[in-house]
Amino acid sequence: MLNFRFRPELRMPGWKSIPFPDQIKRLLIIFIILVIMLITVRNYLMPPTFVKEGHYRAAAIDSILALPIHYAGQEACSECHDEYVALKQTSYHQNVACEVCHGPGANHVEDPSENTPSAPRQRGLCPLCHIYNASKPTGFPQINIVTHNPLEPCMSCHEPHDPKPPQPPEECGACHGEIARTKAVSHHAALECTQCHSAPEAHKKDPRSFRPSKPRKRTFCGGCHGENAESAGEIPRVDLQSHEPDHACWQCHYPHYPEVR
Amino acid sequence: MENLIEQLQPILKQVVGYIYPNEVELHWGILIVVYPYITGLVAGAFILASLERVFEVKEVQPTYRLSMLTALAFLIIAPLPLLAHLSYPERSIEIFLTPQLKSAMAMFGFVYAWYLMIVLMLEIWFDYRKDIVYWARSKKGWRKYMYYLLSLGSLDLSEKAIRFDRKAGKFITIIGIPSAFLLHGYVGFIFGSVKANPWWSSVLMPIVFLFSAIVSGIALMILIYGVTTLFRWKPIDMACMDKLASFLLYAMILDISLETLDFIHRMYESVESIHILGQLISQKLFISLVVIQILLGTLLPLGSLASVKLFRLPDELRRLIYFGAAILVQIGIFSTRWNVVIGGQLFSKSLRGLTHYKMELLGIEGLLISIALLFLPLFVLYIIIKILPPWPEAATTPLSSIAKESSQ
Repeated sequence: MLNFRFRPELRMPGWKSIPFPDQIKRLLIIFIILVIMLITVRNYLMPPTFVKEGHYRAAAIDSILALPIHYAGQEACSECHDEYVALKQTSYHQNVACEVCHGPGANHVEDPSENTPSAPRQRGLCPLCHIYNASKPTGFPQINIVTHNPLEPCMSCHEPHDPKPPQPPEECGACHGEIARTKAVSHHAALECTQCHSAPEAHKKDPRSFRPSKPRKRTFCGGCHGENAESAGEIPRVDLQSHEPDHACWQCHYPHYPEVR
Repeated sequence: MENLIEQLQPILKQVVGYIYPNEVELHWGILIVVYPYITGLVAGAFILASLERVFEVKEVQPTYRLSMLTALAFLIIAPLPLLAHLSYPERSIEIFLTPQLKSAMAMFGFVYAWYLMIVLMLEIWFDYRKDIVYWARSKKGWRKYMYYLLSLGSLDLSEKAIRFDRKAGKFITIIGIPSAFLLHGYVGFIFGSVKANPWWSSVLMPIVFLFSAIVSGIALMILIYGVTTLFRWKPIDMACMDKLASFLLYAMILDISLETLDFIHRMYESVESIHILGQLISQKLFISLVVIQILLGTLLPLGSLASVKLFRLPDELRRLIYFGAAILVQIGIFSTRWNVVIGGQLFSKSLRGLTHYKMELLGIEGLLISIALLFLPLFVLYIIIKILPPWPEAATTPLSSIAKESSQ
């Protein structure tokens, strides 16, 4: 077995003349070797076009460009199917691109006879957008798929390129389902919507342009709930002068569920 | 697609309220819980070691070297949960090759390298150098060469050289304290800087992370010191244990004060997220936050450690209480990490619904891998201890004789 003795003379010539402690000199050598290794490895491994345009590989743009294209874009559709595109342009679906429902169509544009895009006719697709969800804006048409014409394909009543219903909804609850269901279990269940709101007929066809009215004054609620109101005896009464005079009624009583929460 | 839907089906049943479609499944699972937990132990163990070195708390001297080696063992394993989570370990070198200074996540490599290479390795090297030289001379066979390599050939054991080692060690510890703060503060920063997440976004996050790290590190050292001493059939230094327990108690008081401050601040601010966070705590995190983190992991050990201060208890009972408190603290701090990482992803950005976390058992992101990663540092520590024994009897370097020899 080797029995080494570490003698100062084994060190590099001139080692002692460097004005650092022995430990620091040795650590520095290791550190310098590590830095040189990092720089060498970096030179070999870093892609040549990196940092040319920014903190990414500039050549990646070419490799992304070379990827196959799946979507053709709506303009390509209008070249052959202009009647559908024109119809859609005037409808509520004007901002829904063709390929949202028909799927990617680049290969159809290339060879229309060989590749046919899908044309979904089942009931499953439309609810992806139109299923009832509390977080959607109130005016957005939403249905309960269990109760809304069960098993009937959507297309049998709604033409997808111009999806307005064949006859306007008769009841407010057809669109304002959440309000209708809330009101149905409240003390206001027996009231018609028109008791408080008046909706122009055009609201049914173009709900966002023609909005229904809303009561804006305390005296409106006072019409039934005021001390001297001419209404049924069991309706709760308040003195409008003294009952929270600085607040509007609906700050505390949600009119579709008026019990104080 | 069908597979995915099948996989998400059981989670969907537990979704409450309204959530966005991409929020059903959690992106950061238990591996990301393990990561801040392990780095916390590193920072905590190192800060404990620095107590002896910089602040000269003599009682904790028996844990000094052990704490340093524990910090090293846990630091070596710290990136593994991230590598396992990201799935492409071979790409990890790229964050060093093309450093992105604007990304907090990409800077992890540098924070880690600084702490490992400059702080821990160097401090351990300076502290052990005279012993390494002694072992290089006294051991036989391949061990001799291993210790020679570890000494980097720096065999000078003159008084001047040893004095320099001590000075350099102290200097590195002084740099090390802010570095340990940086390492774990950084992990807190990663969460605290997510503006869009009201559960995480808080400037107190790095500080709370840091103090919980100190708590977990001290508790870990109570356990490791106690267990290793028992296995070596040596008497436990009760002065050391008492001091460790006192530090644990003080650190816990600071930690719980900061967390309470954070809680009061949130309650007082009552921004729009307060309702969903209230639901989160009362529904999804009730067991892990209220029961495990606060009651079992904080109040119970706090009470038992304080009772030791109030009553005169026999050594045996004190040891048992310290052990029990340290184990509870570990469980508590693990669930703190769980509540931050998992809790922060359980509520929807719509602030109107909660999702559910379903942990895998066998997968790479699963429970078994996480348990393995939690125990792996102990195995690494065992190997390091075999190479660099921290025990006082192993370092019985007859310094005078070596110094004499090298001056000849």
